[in-house]
Amino acid sequence: MNKTRDVFSDIYRSGWRKSVQSILQLCIGVVFITTNGWGQTYDLLLRNGQLIDPKNSINGKMDIAVLDGKVAKVAASIPSNQAKKIIDVTGLIVTPGLIDIHTHVFVGGKPETFADGFLSVSPDDFTLKSGVTTVVDAGTSGWRNFPVFKEHVIDKSRTRVLAFLNIAGNGMTGSPTEQDVNDMDAYMTSLVVKKNPEIIVGVKIGHYEGADWAPFDRAIDAAAKSNTPLFVECHLPQFSLEDQLKKMRPGDIITHSFEKIDERMPVIDEQGKLRSFVIDAQKRGVLFDLGHGGAGFWFSVAVPAMKQGLAPNSFGSDLHRFSMNAGMKDMMNIMSKYMAMGMSLQEAVERATWNAAKAIHRNDLGNLTEGNVADIAVFRIREGNFGYTDAGGNVINGTKKLEAELTVRNGKVVWDLNGISGTPLNPVSASK
Amino acid sequence: MKLYSVVLFIFCITVTVSGNAQRIDILLKGGHVIDPCNKIDKVMDVAITAGKISGVAPSIPGDSAKKIVNVSGMYVTPGIIDMHVHVFHGTDAGSYLANGFHGLPADGFTFRAGVTTVVDAGSSGWKNFRSFKAQTIDRAKTRVLAFLNIVGIGMYGRLEEQDVSDMNPEMTAYMIRHEFPDIIVGIKSAHYWGDFTQVDRAVKAGELGGVPVMVDFGEHHPPNSIEELFMKHMRPGDIFTHTYANGFEDRETVVDKDGKVKPFVFAAQKRGIVFDVGHGGGAFSWIQAVPAMQQKFWPTTISSDLHTESMNGGMKDMTNVMSKFLAMGMPLQDVILRCTWNPATVINRKQLGNLSIGSEADVAVFSLREGDFGFLDVTGAKVKGKQKLEAELTIRAGKVVWDLNGIGAADYVPNTKR
Repeated sequence: MNKTRDVFSDIYRSGWRKSVQSILQLCIGVVFITTNGWGQTYDLLLRNGQLIDPKNSINGKMDIAVLDGKVAKVAASIPSNQAKKIIDVTGLIVTPGLIDIHTHVFVGGKPETFADGFLSVSPDDFTLKSGVTTVVDAGTSGWRNFPVFKEHVIDKSRTRVLAFLNIAGNGMTGSPTEQDVNDMDAYMTSLVVKKNPEIIVGVKIGHYEGADWAPFDRAIDAAAKSNTPLFVECHLPQFSLEDQLKKMRPGDIITHSFEKIDERMPVIDEQGKLRSFVIDAQKRGVLFDLGHGGAGFWFSVAVPAMKQGLAPNSFGSDLHRFSMNAGMKDMMNIMSKYMAMGMSLQEAVERATWNAAKAIHRNDLGNLTEGNVADIAVFRIREGNFGYTDAGGNVINGTKKLEAELTVRNGKVVWDLNGISGTPLNPVSASK
Repeated sequence: MKLYSVVLFIFCITVTVSGNAQRIDILLKGGHVIDPCNKIDKVMDVAITAGKISGVAPSIPGDSAKKIVNVSGMYVTPGIIDMHVHVFHGTDAGSYLANGFHGLPADGFTFRAGVTTVVDAGSSGWKNFRSFKAQTIDRAKTRVLAFLNIVGIGMYGRLEEQDVSDMNPEMTAYMIRHEFPDIIVGIKSAHYWGDFTQVDRAVKAGELGGVPVMVDFGEHHPPNSIEELFMKHMRPGDIFTHTYANGFEDRETVVDKDGKVKPFVFAAQKRGIVFDVGHGGGAFSWIQAVPAMQQKFWPTTISSDLHTESMNGGMKDMTNVMSKFLAMGMPLQDVILRCTWNPATVINRKQLGNLSIGSEADVAVFSLREGDFGFLDVTGAKVKGKQKLEAELTIRAGKVVWDLNGIGAADYVPNTKR
């Protein structure tokens, strides 16, 4: 459109001979514009990929075009002359940017703590290379130190960082203040949630050692006041799993669903059967997040649970300093692990995209609907012999492994493993 | 030599007699060992006992081993040394690489790439090294060593790095000689816009401290002569980093506009100047590296220059940077040499970068993937390759700290219902 205006101003400014030239140019321009669908050019076009977008029930060979940071078009074939940059993704899987709803990314200088501390990690260090474009911090900050978290991490990350706000005012300090019931304020928490609707997606309860239900009740109260889901971590040793699930509302999320450590009863019983109250909670609409972490995922719980119908609703990784190099590793590894356990690729993608988006009430994310932000993951399915480890150091073998080839965040390529967006080095220029 | 044999003999007897007391903790079986320091390049077993290398031999019996890991088909090397990183991570929003957001906590990038030792390249200076140590070095599982910046407050910001009054050779050398000789391995000079003053002060500190100097020589308008730098200002053993940076207006390159390596560069290498890769976010271009490799101007050390602007770009991690040199035709053995024994020698840490019996058990195990791979430089240009290294297992001080496919773990056995 700018081009047209330029041509007209040319006519005004120059003599008639130039005008003829300009009119000719204009005619050519109009023809050009018409064939081009009114001159629309895309910034980026990913061609020939296998596109899986569970929200829109797409699973097939599709092209996807990006303009101004948004998904502009998804179609079986988009002509390549309409795009400034074309990337051939033949043989690769194209999905919405992955969403990890359980991370600890309030990284900072304090030793031995998660909140503003060394035990959290920087999101960009791990996300983009694993196809993840959105993480949700699982209550590392509370209402008092959320502004620090926002300034230090959220505003500085390329990854979209969302958050559950801890009911404890200072979040995961690890100190006695985290146990202080007087600093668990439903009103203040709900206020900060409501003031940051773009970032804060819910309220978290975790790490409370007492038997008093007040913290849990206040967290639900804060979630209700702010109309958001409650996210229930473990480390609540005196609350029984059954009571926790009973208090939870449909849409509330429990994490570390397949853990097998003393602080919480596993979801299966000694006979390997899924407990009836767990099935009831699932039926009621309580969501079960993975929350892999360093100790939160055991094959001896997860495998029988999945066989009996309890696969995780979302693939929260519980990324932090102790899980990053252990059995968890990253989102690609978690998805591959579930595929090795028998889950289909389509189901794995659904859990890492649309299911996660719905759980945090962000229907604008986790899908490739035209007009939505262009957060896109492109990955390869490697064939070979691979192994996947749980928290107990047990291995399941698989023949497939996902590898993040290309990640697009807000329309920009932010990860490119093998340079598929690169330009081949011209050997002449190299030797010149 | 005779004494050595006797000691070895006694040691062997002790080992034999003590039996269970000296059980092997981890036995890596059947891997192809590449240990350039000890000139080993063949299939060997590697035994680890009490955090140390206790045996490297064609066949070590497994009956006394607590854990046996089958690594046949894989390469076993000394833990990789990444001689150029920025890991002084912190929350000072005004800072660049000293306690700022652009440095990275090391452990998230090292073990998954086979790296067990990193050397921070001057993020801190003598004034803030102590907080770097408390905040990062003492907490990392990775061994973190450091070049100390000649600028007292390190790489706080470009402006502060121009302050000649904060470049104190005596204080810098004192930190090395008297305070932290175990951690600080050299001096860094970088980001200086002026003449040779900063390099000269760094070399002075290097002389006083008895350590090498690493030089990042850019950001001069017009560029300063690197011939003069190599021949008149740096000493043999000093390190020139960002070797394959493609100069714009502010950095003289090693390869000229016609694609020829400048003759004085070879002369400098002969003189003992160490050439380090220091890939980074802006300092590795194929247009420099490919002709240099073809003309046999090879780097002495391969390093990453890890920081936030390189981690998700063309650099990625050490396995990726190493694989780039494979793609350019460097044999695997030469690649391993340049990130194990060579850097260990350059930083005068000969106890590192090798699998000699008795040395600390830092070990990397790699798969060499075959396929179609591509490697980006900092300009978005791509070179294709058929091989790519992947870190399978990393051992630091005798402990498994990374196990990609669970080769060091037991198979999950489903519970039969009781």
